[in-house]
Amino acid sequence: MGLLMTLRIALKALFRNKMRSSLTMLGMIIGVAAVIAMVALGNGAQSTIENQIRSAGTNLIYVMAGNFMAGGVRTGSGAANTLLVDDAMAIRDQVPGIQYLAIGVTTRSQVITGNQNWNTRVNGTDIELPLIRSWPVQFGTFFTPQDVSSAAKVAVLGSTVRDMLYGEGADPTGQTVRVRNQPFKVIGVMSSKGQGTGGEDQDDAIYVPYTTVQKKLLGITHINNITISAVTANGVASVAEGVTALLRTRHKIYQGDADDFMVRTLEEMAAMRTEATQTMGALLASIAGVSLIVGGIGIMNIMLVSVTERTKEIGLRMSIGARGRDVLMQFLVEALVLSLIGGLIGIGLGIGVSTALTRFLGWPTTISPDAVALAFGFSALTGVFFGFYPARKAARLDPIEALRYE
Amino acid sequence: MPVITVRDLTKTYQTGGDIEVRALRGVTVDVEAGEFLAVTGPSGSGKSTFMHILGCLDRPTSGSYALDGDDVSRLSRDELAAIRNRKIGFVFQGFNLLARTSALENVELPLLYGRHKVSSSERHRKAREALAAVGLSGREHHHPNQLSGGQQQRVAIARSLVNNPSILLADEPTGNLDSRTSVEVMDIFQRLNAEQGITVLLITHEHDIAEYGSRTIAFRDGQIVADDRNGSRRHASRELAALPPRS
Repeated sequence: MGLLMTLRIALKALFRNKMRSSLTMLGMIIGVAAVIAMVALGNGAQSTIENQIRSAGTNLIYVMAGNFMAGGVRTGSGAANTLLVDDAMAIRDQVPGIQYLAIGVTTRSQVITGNQNWNTRVNGTDIELPLIRSWPVQFGTFFTPQDVSSAAKVAVLGSTVRDMLYGEGADPTGQTVRVRNQPFKVIGVMSSKGQGTGGEDQDDAIYVPYTTVQKKLLGITHINNITISAVTANGVASVAEGVTALLRTRHKIYQGDADDFMVRTLEEMAAMRTEATQTMGALLASIAGVSLIVGGIGIMNIMLVSVTERTKEIGLRMSIGARGRDVLMQFLVEALVLSLIGGLIGIGLGIGVSTALTRFLGWPTTISPDAVALAFGFSALTGVFFGFYPARKAARLDPIEALRYE
Repeated sequence: MPVITVRDLTKTYQTGGDIEVRALRGVTVDVEAGEFLAVTGPSGSGKSTFMHILGCLDRPTSGSYALDGDDVSRLSRDELAAIRNRKIGFVFQGFNLLARTSALENVELPLLYGRHKVSSSERHRKAREALAAVGLSGREHHHPNQLSGGQQQRVAIARSLVNNPSILLADEPTGNLDSRTSVEVMDIFQRLNAEQGITVLLITHEHDIAEYGSRTIAFRDGQIVADDRNGSRRHASRELAALPPRS
């Protein structure tokens, strides 16, 4: 018998027992819907976590001049003068997967205004820093490419510095501070960022163009560090490798010799994220497995009842020429139709529930096409797996016994 | 050439432990094409076992059975299914129609299990013809529960005819019917036998029903104990004409 005809017969048989068929499907519907909603919730939670980590900067790569791990003379990091602006430019041009890049030249200084003063870090940096750190200004603006190229004496204050010099919450934009006896115009205040990954107060610093620190404050041409953000968190490792390889070539470091720089990523963070993702995935997979198995058992149960109930029909079909495999296919297709229709409705319900959770409870959900495909595939597999035993039972019936069955 | 050739047919069942039931103990019989054979005997006589083997639902323990000249006694399950589909039409006591399925679809059923694909229009045409042959034109779309017992049995007969079988096996076809309806059903068998030359095997334990056949064989203890031409054959059409019309 053709598959299309078998399908028609299966649909007809299921339609004859609407109530029973729909209740059987319900098991499958709930299973699939649960999987999809769970995975959507899980993904939503995960992307929330990812966003939090991203704000801390898992996709960040720090390159520091010097290497306090190598050589007989241990210099502090950032102390060597081998890292140059050209290195940073080469990294930006030649290493793929980089989103933003900022050169850093750092010093410490007393910052003075009126009768207030405060000793803080002077971070010479680049225009892309706020983008790398997803760190907007609270007042005013960050400096511009022109400020960098002209080594302009402009400063953006960290909020702690602002609090110390002008009082909490004040807007000192347009005022002037003095750094090493040079006047800097305050053009903005960074919003508060809190503690950094090292526990330091990230707000206790002022930000000025790195060219200004090089030329106006220190009179140097090398740089201390480079901060890079990768396009994706997954791309961090490859960017770090690319940077290392490029700098070794540029600095003419022979194979086997130690680097004269350090590349650091927030690997711990990334590892933690991977672990959390895997745990979440395992949890969801087990929920998926359990609910779909329960749905499958429902299908097997009803198919067994159906085979027993229709023993006489099976006997008749065999007497008029149905082979064992015709009967097998008939019941297998019935089980498959139950599970697939259940799966399809379950997908709809799962998407609906996810949407409702977001809309009415505000829980973040992300419906993943993978989970939908997986749940649907699983429901088909369940139908075949749990439908096979009843179908085989039907196919192996003795036609004489089956015809006599009352 | 006989349509059925049976030689020394035996069937022995093993029922639990060492108990053997010898349902058939050496049956030899020929049935010519166009015969209307009534098979009688009390329950336990072996007539049902005989009918199951003739119907290719079961295989003999020993002996041979040739249908249309081909030995079918050693075929596999699937091969037997194919023979049943092509060469044998079954009519059962309990009609065995699919519920909530139209008469037309019930009659089409054997065509679905054929080894050759039959288009749906061809299926409809054949099923309509078969229904017309049993006088059920116009009832194609009735479901079994909308038909009387006699009509249901006629649908079942139409179903058995739809594949143009070599033999028609009717197992107590009137067992669930009242006497007048029984006569109507026997009328259909006699007409199919006389007009279309279809070989009919009628299994019954009622002697008056057996008298509609042209020949009767009687079973007892797994053997044929009588094989007679029916001298005083009953004719259903004449009996129906003599009966008062259905109110």
